[in-house]
Order: sequence, then C-alpha cells, then structure tokens
Amino acid sequence: MLRLLLPFALVLGLLVAAALSDRPQPPADWTYIDSQPAFTLDPLRTSYEQDIRLNNALWDGLVRWDTADFSITPGIAESWEKSPDNLRFVFRLRADARWSNGETIDAHDIVYSWRRGVMPDTAADYSKLFFSIRGAEAFFRWRAEQLRGYAARPAAERTRDAAAALRREAWERFESAVGVSAPDARTLVVDLERPTPYFLDICAFVPTFPVHPPSLERALKIDPATGRVDEGSAWTRPGALVCSGAYTLASWRFKRDMRLERNPAYWDTDHVRADSIRVLIIEDPNTSVLAFRTGAADFATDVLTDYIGDMLRESASAASEGKPRTIHGFTRFGTYFWSFNCTPTLTSGLPNPLADRRVRRALALATNKREIVERVRGVGEVVADTLIPPGSIPGFDPARSTVGARHDPEAARALLQEAGWTREAGASGPPVDASGAPFPIIDMLCSTGSYHVPVALAMGAMWERELGIRTRVVAKETKTYRQDLRRRDYMVARGGWFGDYSDPTTFLNIHKTGDGNNDRGFSSPRFDDLLGRAAAEPEPAARLCLLEEAERVTTEDELPILPLWHYRQFFLYDGGRFTGVTTHPRMIQMLQQMGPKDVLSPAERRAAAPWSGPR
Amino acid sequence: MMRLLLNRLIQAPIVLLAVYTITFALAWALPGSAVMNDEGKRPPPEVIAAMEARYSLHDPAAFYVQYLRGVITRLDFGPSLRYTDWTVNDILAGSLPVSVILGLAAMLIALVIGVAAGVIGAWKPGSALDWAATLLALVGISTPAFVIGAGLLLLFPVTLGIGRVASWGRPQDILLPALTLSLPFAASIARLTRMGMLEALQADYIRTARAKGLPESAVILRHALKNAFLPVLSYLGPASAAAMTGSFVVEKVFNVPGLGQHFVSAVLNKDLFLIMGVVLVYAAMLIGFNLAVDALYGWVDPRIGRG
Repeated sequence: MLRLLLPFALVLGLLVAAALSDRPQPPADWTYIDSQPAFTLDPLRTSYEQDIRLNNALWDGLVRWDTADFSITPGIAESWEKSPDNLRFVFRLRADARWSNGETIDAHDIVYSWRRGVMPDTAADYSKLFFSIRGAEAFFRWRAEQLRGYAARPAAERTRDAAAALRREAWERFESAVGVSAPDARTLVVDLERPTPYFLDICAFVPTFPVHPPSLERALKIDPATGRVDEGSAWTRPGALVCSGAYTLASWRFKRDMRLERNPAYWDTDHVRADSIRVLIIEDPNTSVLAFRTGAADFATDVLTDYIGDMLRESASAASEGKPRTIHGFTRFGTYFWSFNCTPTLTSGLPNPLADRRVRRALALATNKREIVERVRGVGEVVADTLIPPGSIPGFDPARSTVGARHDPEAARALLQEAGWTREAGASGPPVDASGAPFPIIDMLCSTGSYHVPVALAMGAMWERELGIRTRVVAKETKTYRQDLRRRDYMVARGGWFGDYSDPTTFLNIHKTGDGNNDRGFSSPRFDDLLGRAAAEPEPAARLCLLEEAERVTTEDELPILPLWHYRQFFLYDGGRFTGVTTHPRMIQMLQQMGPKDVLSPAERRAAAPWSGPR
Repeated sequence: MMRLLLNRLIQAPIVLLAVYTITFALAWALPGSAVMNDEGKRPPPEVIAAMEARYSLHDPAAFYVQYLRGVITRLDFGPSLRYTDWTVNDILAGSLPVSVILGLAAMLIALVIGVAAGVIGAWKPGSALDWAATLLALVGISTPAFVIGAGLLLLFPVTLGIGRVASWGRPQDILLPALTLSLPFAASIARLTRMGMLEALQADYIRTARAKGLPESAVILRHALKNAFLPVLSYLGPASAAAMTGSFVVEKVFNVPGLGQHFVSAVLNKDLFLIMGVVLVYAAMLIGFNLAVDALYGWVDPRIGRG
C-alpha cells in the first residue's frame, strides 16, 4: 500500500511547492479587464484596440489627443508651424522630453522611427499612414525592389557586410528622398506629398510614435541571405523596454496579466492619475463579467456576453433607484454593414444581379434597419444611414446632404421592376427577368460565433417578404470568411469598418477603385473623381463638401454597402467612483487619465492641498 | 522490462517525427494567411511578402526542414506569428507549468473520488451507495465542463464569497478548476475500479483472506484493491497527459493561463509555429507518460517485469 501512496505524496509535495513559487502580483491602484491580450508593444505594429490602449500609455507621440473632443495637444513637440501651402510642418521638440531611461528624445529618434515605418521589412499594417510624407511611398517601393535585387545576387555576394551596406544605402536614400529631416536635435521638419489636413491627427496616432533607437539597434539582426532587418521580440520585454509615455512596463505574463507603473521621466507625469495599473486578461465573456462583479477589477474594456440587453435593463432599473450604473454603452467611430459584391460576374461564372446599383438599392430599401437594431440586437445601437458616424468628425455632416436608403418597401419593389426583375403582385415565387429566369438565391456570407447569423436571417426574411428574393446564410470560420471575402467569392457579406484619424477619407477610401480594403470590387468613376478633387482642394470647407457628396453617392445612389448601425462599445465600471472615461465616438481611452476618483494625480493632489507640498 | 522500456525509447523519436509531419501538413492546409490580421487593417502587399519571406512561408519544404532543425539543435520552437512580441518557447514556458500543476491536482482529486466511489460501489453491489456512486460517475462523464465550471463559479465565489473569479497564482485558486477538470477522469476511474474490485472480490485469495479472519477493511484495501488497481494504472498514463495539457473549456471558464487554450486559438489564428510547438509538446508528454506507466507497472506488480 505504501508503494501506492508514495507517488501521491510526491505529487502533493510538487503541487504545494509549485503553488508557493508562483506568487501573485502586488495590488495596483486600479485594475482593468481586457478580453484580448496585447499582440505587440511596438507602436509601429500596433493595429488592434487593446494594443492602441496600452501603447498610448507606454509611448508618447509628437502630438496627442485631448480625449474630450479629440483636438490636438502638445506631446513630444511643444509647438509646431505649418507652411501656408499646407505642405511643410516644422515641429519644435520640448527640452524635457525623455525616454524612460532618462535619455533625451532627439529629433533624430523620430527620423529613425519613421524610417522603420516605410521599410517593408520592418513596416506593418499601418505603413500607409506615412505615405502622405513626400517621397515615402516611392521609397517604400524602392526598398522592396532593392531587397528583391539583393536576394537575386549569387550566394557568395550575400555576406554580412553586404547586407549591412544595403541598409546603409537605404538610409542614405531615405535621407535624400523622403521629406523627414532633423536640422538639429530639437527640430523636426516634415514635407508632405500633398496637402494633408489630418496630418497632425496621424502624428497623434500610435503607429507614428517614436521608439528608442539604441534598444532596437541592440536587438536587431540583418539577415545576410535576404538583406532584411529583423528586430526580434526581446526589446519589448519588461526590463528591456525603453518607452516614452506615462507608464513603464513592470511585468507582462502572456495571456495572463500585465503591470504598468508610473514613468517618472515622462514630461507630463503630473497629470497622470494612478501610480500603477494592472491589466487582467480574461477571454471568456461570462467570466469577465463575474470577475468584475466580484470586485476583481475596476473597469472592463468590453462586454461581449449574449445578455448585454438584460444587463442594460438591470443597470437602468438600479439607476432609477439612485444606484450608480455599472454598464455603459457609447457609440463608436465605426459602422457595421453588409457588403454587396459589385463585380459583374460571380466567381461561379454566373452573371451577378447585384452589379446593378438599382438592385442593391432595392435590397437596401426593403431592409427595416430599425427593426433589426431593436429586435435582433436590442442593445441600443444607432441606426446607420451613412458609413461615417454623424458628429464624429468636426465640420463634416453627411446627414446634411443624404438620408441614405431608408426603409421603403414600395420604392424597393418599383426599383427592382425598373432593373428588369418582375414579379406579379401576390405571387409567391422570386422575381424573374425578361427571359423568365428567376432571381438567383443570394448567399449571405458571414463569420461564425457572433450575432451575424441572426442578422442575416432577419435581413433575408425581409427581402423574401418584400421582394420575393430568397437567401441562404453561409457562416464560415473567420479565416475562411476573410479569404472568401478577398476573393469576392460571395454575393452579400457582413463587414464593418473603424476609422483611424479625424477625416472622412479614413472611411471613404475603402470604396476607392482598387483599394486594398475594397472587398466589394466597387468601382465608380464619379466617386473616384470626387475623392480625387477633394485631395486636390486646398480649401478645407470646400474639401469636406466634396467628401460629403462622395458619401452621398455611396449611401444613396451606388450602395456598395448597406450600413446597418454604428458600433457601440460597452464598458463595465462603477459610474459613482470611476472616472476618466471619454465618451467621444473616437473611443480611444487614455489609461493615464482613468482610475478610481479617490486616486489623484500629483497635480490634483497639489491643488487639493497646496500647503502640504514641498517648500 | 528494461527491453520494453528501451524499445519504447527508440520508437519515441520516430513517433514524434510522424506527428510533426502530419501536423505540418494539416497546419499548412489551413485556409487564410498566417501573417495577416483577421480584423485589423490590411498592410500593403510588400509588407506581407516581407513577413512571409522572413518565416519561409512561401516555401513549405524549407520551412519543414528549418523548423525541424531549430527544434532538434536548439530546442527552438520559433516565434509566434500572431503574438509577435513572444516566441513559442516563451509561451510554452509560461503555460506548460500551469497546465502540469492543474493536471496533477485534477488527477489527484480524480483518483481520490474515483477510487473511493469504485470501492464503495463494488463493496455492496446493487446497494443505494452503489447506485449513488454510479450516478455520480454518469454525471461526471456526461456533464460538460462549462456547465460544471460555471455552476461552481456561481456557487462558490459569486454566491458564497469563497475563492475568487479568474484568479490564478494562489494555492487555493487551483481547487475549483481542478475539481471541474477531474470529474470526467474520476468517473472513468470509478468505473474501472468498480469493475476490477468486483472481479477481485470473487477471487479465491479473497475468500482465503476472509477465512483467515482479516478485518473487512484490510481485505478490501490491502488485498483486493491492489489487484483491482492495475487497469486504473494503465488508464492513468494517457489520462494524466490529457489532464496536464490542459482543457480549453476549463481554462476559459476559470481563466487559467494554461496550455490547452493554445491548441484551439493557435489553429484559429493559423499560428503555425505555435501549433507545431503545442502538438509536439503534447506528443512528447503522451509518450513520456505511457513510458512512466510501463515503468510503474513493473514496480507495482513485480510479476510483469519477470514475465
């Protein structure tokens, strides 16, 4: 018997030892739950929301957003000047801008960082943001070509030295051909390719935030076989990461937790609320709600449960009894829509009836968006008539010029008839064309695991009821869905878009002929012309008018998409004791101003008790 | 005995190579791009080409050989394509110990519950106790972990205020997830024990033991259980490996930072290096545990070694 018990005793001992060796973290000023772990802390590679949130706290940009209205405020640059033709920006860097290791942030560091952004071997999702800089796009293509040429050389010529020389050549080229330069340590001069009214907004967006060049130079390798620069991943580790923002990275455990601590070297640390923040990763939506309710966190960045509607009602009834709300929903800078395949022929080789804009508009008019938003979703989203959420971009009001395609089944039937699809009143079958062929069954492509299928079913039922058009829902796993979308192997597909900077083009560009995000194969000379004229228009108000017209063309006449609602984001926090959350549609939350109300920033503490400070 | 173990040791690399090859082929056939974000913004094609070239994604043969060479010579499982700040080695180093601890604790609980339920059932077959034990086994096998897990969470931390939700790192945090993970294993062990015990209790040597006047507890625990335990022992090998490589559902519900989640998420993300890493580690563990059980067999039952 002892023989049997011995392994048990061993296992028990091992368990106790393991449990004791894994000590929990010290408490932080506040904790938030994120449903997704960070993908990267490299600002340049930042693309996802949770990364943007973290990197906004770890890094500083040339300029920053005031999250009350998303106007531009100083960051590393204390001031800037714009040339009258809008083609040159001169930034003056503040003297006290420092890296977290105490070194001064130099204008050359920004040149270094932006050069990374336009080298295809180090660039990432947002490299296009840099293309408004003079010569940047041409340099990007040149570098890709240079690397191709290098890889074609005989193996004996591809040595470590040759690869290093290749990089030096690229640097020299960048210096001479791209409009970014640092005449001295505190001045940065940027020349633009064309007037870009939103250039400062781009400078406030994480992917353009500078990184610490010595950290990267220590980490990087140049592959002698291909000439490519590989920076590895070690430099973003706690202890190694030299950052520039309100916080430094104290610990990071994969898909588990993260701890941020105040960066005393940050120039504006006086206005940073909490000394420490803990990030807790909980992927399961139910567990994250339970964790919040049992007090494990002060804030949750996303509520993804199926019962948001119930939570909202519960919170509203609690609020009517005078208790603070715990779930908060805000409209976002993004829109949920369904895409129409606009190409003349489907991948099956059959003609595409949706290539006719009248058919697309008929389908849109037959859709009762309000009913879908209220009955299928039921979480208070705003019905979308346009791609760009109204009121999200200063000076731009699409509602001024368009009503989109509002629910009107009568007009839908008439329009379908006009497009050549006839159907007897009261008939049960689908409409037929002149040759008597029935309208094909529409495949509605979406990804699994979310609310897309119920939405598709509701839309399909409306189309059948009003127009006799039959549909079939095709739900696929996300990767397959994306692949089908890119190949345009669909008729109607779910889609969505979030804006990045404060300009209508951040949305409208997806409809440009040949754009990388134009999954619809949509091509309208009229629309392209409007966008082209807007790009050339120096007068901001006139430019926005042209873009409003472009928005009208797509939402009222051509309809490559059918917008359903503007996204809504849900947070969990106690409205009575948590503060610093912005409700602006841009929905970029700055951790440095968030926290429990009783946690005060150094500036607030001084203001509250001016006599207790050091004399 | 030594010969058997030696044989198994020689087979191990061949089995691992086969596992690697099959996994590689399946992972490669997954739809979609490994380097492109599913929901993020799309980079220009030049950036995608550069990333694919960095990881040899354009050349399956080169990838196959390079990766294998990295694993064998440096035990380097490569970078994560999705979580670009991490290497697969980092991810495994963080999550494997967690899964091993959780799996060991679950197996411990499963053995205690399972053997006890099996012995009680076999002691008085057909009695109310036997029925209760059988029912427990049935519930354990047929109730999905997300039901039991969510129920335990709602009962203990949420309603009674005992323990925490989504906490890991304190010794008491192990209990609820380990209990949830253990139930299906406990049910199997209970059934195996009950069957073995029923058979053993019919044997002649038990009659002899009883005739000698030994107390019933000694008859059951010392004599019958020892023989009845052998089928349980052979089940323990693969079961331990399964428990220790984690459970996607249990890890999700209790937010345990273990290995199991990567089996699912790596495939969904087409994170090739991570898929290969977790599968190879799982295969190695499975081989290791079967080997350990073979060795234990000879130790618990010396007849096997001599045979």
